[in-house]
Amino acid sequence: MITLEHVTKSYKGDVVALRDVSVEMKKGEFVFLVGPSGSGKSTFLRLLLREELPDTGRILVAGRDVARMSSWKVPYLRRNIGTIFQDFKLLAGKTVYENVAFALEVIGRPRHVIESQVPQILELVGLAEKGERFEYELSGGEQQRVSIARAFVNRPLILLADEPTGNLDPATAEGIMRLLDRINRTGTTVVMATHDEGIVNTMRRRVIELDRGMIVRDQARGVYGLPA
Amino acid sequence: MAFKLDYFARETFVSLRRNIMMTLAGILTVAVSLFLFGGVLLLSRMVDHGTARWKEGVELEIFFVTDPTQKQVQDIQAELDDAPSVKSYRFISKQKAYDLFREYFKDEPDLIEAVDPETLPPSFRVIPEDPALTKTIAAQFEGRPGVDQVLTAEEQVHRMLRAISWIRRLFFAISGILLASSLFLIVNTIRLATFARRHEIQIMKLVGATNWFIRIPFMLEGLIQGAIGAGLAFGAVYGLQQILSDLVQRSEGVFQSFFITTGDALGIGFIVLAIGAFVGVVGSAIGLRRFLDV
Repeated sequence: MITLEHVTKSYKGDVVALRDVSVEMKKGEFVFLVGPSGSGKSTFLRLLLREELPDTGRILVAGRDVARMSSWKVPYLRRNIGTIFQDFKLLAGKTVYENVAFALEVIGRPRHVIESQVPQILELVGLAEKGERFEYELSGGEQQRVSIARAFVNRPLILLADEPTGNLDPATAEGIMRLLDRINRTGTTVVMATHDEGIVNTMRRRVIELDRGMIVRDQARGVYGLPA
Repeated sequence: MAFKLDYFARETFVSLRRNIMMTLAGILTVAVSLFLFGGVLLLSRMVDHGTARWKEGVELEIFFVTDPTQKQVQDIQAELDDAPSVKSYRFISKQKAYDLFREYFKDEPDLIEAVDPETLPPSFRVIPEDPALTKTIAAQFEGRPGVDQVLTAEEQVHRMLRAISWIRRLFFAISGILLASSLFLIVNTIRLATFARRHEIQIMKLVGATNWFIRIPFMLEGLIQGAIGAGLAFGAVYGLQQILSDLVQRSEGVFQSFFITTGDALGIGFIVLAIGAFVGVVGSAIGLRRFLDV
């Protein structure tokens, strides 16, 4: 589903974000990306979305060569990738329902599809009763659920999560993780960058650790820190 | 597709209303600059109509002394027949000259009363092959036996045409500057609109909206500003045409030839509309150039 071959990415001023990274993630995998701030986790995710281009190397996402893809095809790549963030990125002027519907509306989905899909996904994330609420009327956990609903409403093959629990207390974070786990079980590949040691140690999924742009550990059913 | 149109219409309208002051500024500048532009075109059209008459009309007139001999008139006529630079000519007899005089001054009977047909000189009205030859022809007949003087329309006409052409250039320059400033205003309006909606644009890009889908509401916004401004200018040009036509109809003699038709005004109106729409679309396209950086 996701393949990186010898990918190097540096930013202006010779800051190397990723150094010769090769890795493969299969369909339906749940992968934690761990490592200190600045280790290259966010760059990794941005490359998959083609928000950045690699300096060298090849990136395949859902069978497409992301780096060589012409830019007009990028939107169609992104329709296969759902993304959630630490800061949710909800639209303040829209209700929960409208936030989710917006994601379908702007990729030109017809009204009847939106009217059937949105209630379904709100049900899945446990917000069926809160469709008419606004962002400021929701707790942090609920806001993250809305953003997950928005990311997943189009049933993407891949879900990228950049520190999705970073702003949440442990109990709420656990609920979000259960939701991501459920989404993963539908066959969606989930890649989650995180600092949350407790979550990684509880879930026991594949862990890829980055340090200064290099993969220093790739472990099935891993934990956050190196085992002693 | 009907649904998308719905979406575009709604987004465009919301954005226009959100920046209402900037929107109005854009619309008014487009209107003023295009009105100036259209007005200049209209005046040019009038001048074209006016000078078209002059060009097929008399460029120079050879006046005889009050009582030239038959021989003197025949000599000049023979010479006119032979001159290759003369396209055509017409003899104005004493009586004909008097008739024309009465026509020109029909509102001043005292003046007509005072003139005796016998005191008016006969003349030839000459049309050259090429207006540029007027001076050459005039020189040829100046001072011939029986010829009193040769009057050319050229100097006055051309001085006027030069003045008009300068005015035309000046107005085109002013309307060009105004049009440029309306373009900048529209660019700025669209840039503000994209800034106000940068979060939405970010989400749209994230979930895979195509660039055209993101652009269209903003381009429509620019188009509408340009088109409304041009529409106002169209109306004003049409009004100006009515006023000028009215003035021309009430004017005398030579000014009658400076007519303009409703067709002229409509043609110019459509040019103005096209420019307005073009400015709107180009302005928003420039304003959108940076939205990819969001």
